[in-house]
Amino acid sequence: MKPMLSTELNVADTTAEKAKIEVKNLNFYYGQSKALKDISLSLPERSVTAFIGPSGCGKSTLLRVFNRIYELYPKQSADGQVLLDGKNILDRSQDLNLLRTKIGMVFQKPTPFPMSIYENIAFGIRLYERIGKSEMDGRVEQALRRAALWTEVKDKLNANGLSLSGGQQQRLCIARTVAVKPEVILLDEPASALDPLSTAKIEELIDELQADYTIVIVTHNMQQAARVSKQTAFMYLGELVEFDRTEKIFTSPREKRTQDYITGRFG
Amino acid sequence: MSTSSNSTLYRGRKAKNKVMMALCVAAAGSGLAWLALILGALLYKGLSGLSLAVFTQMTPPPGDAGGLLNAIYGSVVMTVIAIVVGTPIGVLAGTYMAEYGRFSKLTTIVRFINDILLSAPSIIVGLFVYELLVRPMGHFSALAGSVALAILVIPVVVRTTEDMLNLVPNALREAGTAIGAPRWVVIRSVAYRAALSGIVTGILLAIARISGETAPLLFTALNNQFWSSNLNAPMASLPVTIFQFALSPYEEWQQLAWTGALIITLTVLGLSIFARSLTGRREDR
Repeated sequence: MKPMLSTELNVADTTAEKAKIEVKNLNFYYGQSKALKDISLSLPERSVTAFIGPSGCGKSTLLRVFNRIYELYPKQSADGQVLLDGKNILDRSQDLNLLRTKIGMVFQKPTPFPMSIYENIAFGIRLYERIGKSEMDGRVEQALRRAALWTEVKDKLNANGLSLSGGQQQRLCIARTVAVKPEVILLDEPASALDPLSTAKIEELIDELQADYTIVIVTHNMQQAARVSKQTAFMYLGELVEFDRTEKIFTSPREKRTQDYITGRFG
Repeated sequence: MSTSSNSTLYRGRKAKNKVMMALCVAAAGSGLAWLALILGALLYKGLSGLSLAVFTQMTPPPGDAGGLLNAIYGSVVMTVIAIVVGTPIGVLAGTYMAEYGRFSKLTTIVRFINDILLSAPSIIVGLFVYELLVRPMGHFSALAGSVALAILVIPVVVRTTEDMLNLVPNALREAGTAIGAPRWVVIRSVAYRAALSGIVTGILLAIARISGETAPLLFTALNNQFWSSNLNAPMASLPVTIFQFALSPYEEWQQLAWTGALIITLTVLGLSIFARSLTGRREDR
């Protein structure tokens, strides 16, 4: 088999489909230290992209650039370009709250708000939409169904979100994110704090959601990346080492460092 | 290398543990004993004077029977005003420090000053308000008393609000932000909600603290033998009345002082228990 045409940086051309997010020469700094070095890649629409790599390689940092959540903290800054549908979201004129309604995020630890299950979902919807009670009920149900949680909680919508189990809480967070109708969903190690059964449920969910959303998942778990994603980016020490179709990364990576990592030789 | 239970090292450590444990238990016991003695004395001396008249009659002239109505009323009024004035300032300042200014130098400075204020002798606050309000106005007043108490409320509320908001995990703020909520909505609907019982506890503790304060009121609200609801005039209060009556040679007054002390103590105790139950419920979750 002839090797695929390799572009510079060993980033293969995965842009056969339309790119939802395009990263161009992105650098990221925590104070003086550079955490991301000249990252360029493009994430296809309605598909799952996984970021893998050892701890501290910058995969979460990269994810946190996409909704600019890093701006909550001083001394963190990014330069370069991140294009969402062709528009640079790092631009100063970008409204951050509106950006975040378009790009949702689910975190490593489940983070239900300290309110009822119903309110957890309605909270985000209410921020940007004025809708009546019955329509809101419908939206809450729809979101919970989407996150495969409806049957488990439909009789206790007024119970505190914190009363759910860890896996249910995480699905509640996904429901909450889906409820505001984002275009992109960022998942930052969404299953690393969960038991295997809950993990399987989350993965199933990711598989279903990719029909409608562009999904980016950061994971420590290489099997998980292999199971859920269509393309995988391997990062190491703040650099994007290799980015390609997932089966390619896991069967015949071009880079030795990728090979070493996926075979467990380091990291 | 021996790690058997008979080694000298291990036995020595065990003995040391026993000694330290005994010291700790003794210390805890002595603390409790003093509290029990104080409460016991208060109950013993105060309970006998507790009657309906205490809550319905004014403080009497020497030698007469009477109650503490004007003093209780004055304490309640000044405490309420102090809380109404002090709480918003304290909560907002604490919110700034924990939310908006978490990384700013100003927060460090404010926290330092607030800690000094927190432990400042309350009589100094009384003197400060005396210079600030009583002297310019030319007379003592309930208003000045309330301001002095408010100044004592603020640092307590600032401290607890900041601490409680700092306990709210950052992940929760990030989650709120990530869903597109502006910062003030995240603070109001997520952070406050998560920290609510703690913040309320702080306010209750502030009430407990000021309801026993005497020194700042001596220079500001002074005292009043008669019923007065005029905020611009001297007003009676339980602590000052206790102070005055306890020092007097009249038996009726001394009895009222004991009863007043019992009322304050029970109120503060009640508030503390209520505050505890609030935080307790929070930890249960």
